[in-house]
Amino acid sequence: MFKDLDPILHSQLRLAVVSLLISVKEAEFTYLKEKTNATAGNLSVQINKLKDAGYIDVIKQFKDNYPQTICKITPLGIKSFEEYVKNLQAYLGVKK
Amino acid sequence: MHNQENDFSPEQSLKLITSMIETTKNSLKDRSHYFLLWGWAVMTACVSQYFLKVVMNYPNHYLVWWITPVVLVVQIFFIVRDRKKEKVKTYINEVSIYLWTAIGLSFFAASFIFSKIGWENCYAVYIILYGIGTYVSGSLIKFRPLIVGGIICFPLAAVTAYLSFDHQIIMLAVAILISYIIPGHLLRMKFKKQNLANV
Repeated sequence: MFKDLDPILHSQLRLAVVSLLISVKEAEFTYLKEKTNATAGNLSVQINKLKDAGYIDVIKQFKDNYPQTICKITPLGIKSFEEYVKNLQAYLGVKK
Repeated sequence: MHNQENDFSPEQSLKLITSMIETTKNSLKDRSHYFLLWGWAVMTACVSQYFLKVVMNYPNHYLVWWITPVVLVVQIFFIVRDRKKEKVKTYINEVSIYLWTAIGLSFFAASFIFSKIGWENCYAVYIILYGIGTYVSGSLIKFRPLIVGGIICFPLAAVTAYLSFDHQIIMLAVAILISYIIPGHLLRMKFKKQNLANV
């Protein structure tokens, strides 16, 4: 059962990012960094992996002349997250 | 947080998901200043209008409502300032913006309708609009004083329609006190306590 868990999501930081994004419309990179306590470099790498998997959209823009990175979960990301949670519950249910 | 690839248990995983979702719940920002801005502005206008009309017998007592565009300018300033600080957009924020935009446009449209049909019962309608805004806003953020304040506006509006214009001014002041000012101050206190707890 354990091996069925989506490897993209079964990583602490990536799962934290997706869990944060699942309940908001969009969030700035700085917000994700603050809430996950991750380093900018590590977070950036993991965000790119989620982006490449099509789980999140990353929008780079300028706000008051400062670069701003906004992350947003995609429908595929939502579906994968739901699937992941379902598998987790199934796994924990089997264990009980 | 380190990126430990695949080396954490499903139990830890579930815990992480729960804690992150809990974190976003605390992302609600203190927006009590909007309630307090409009609440005190309308209260000031009501008291001034009552004084000018009933005590001074001044015929142009309605001029006090020119406070509205001034408050709108202050509100725009608040919106711009809050947007700059905003790091996350929640669905609750989004819905609140649509709701208050609709309420604001309703006040605007209603003012044209009352110019045409007369202002005798305008305050009853305005109280309903306050009620809708605060009831829905309160329900979205699950804040009981706003919900209760909003609900009380509906019977107040119904009663207001049967009163003289002088008494309608007092009813508007009561409605704004119950639906904006008191919940606004309570909301502010709640966020202050929350911030102190987080320090």
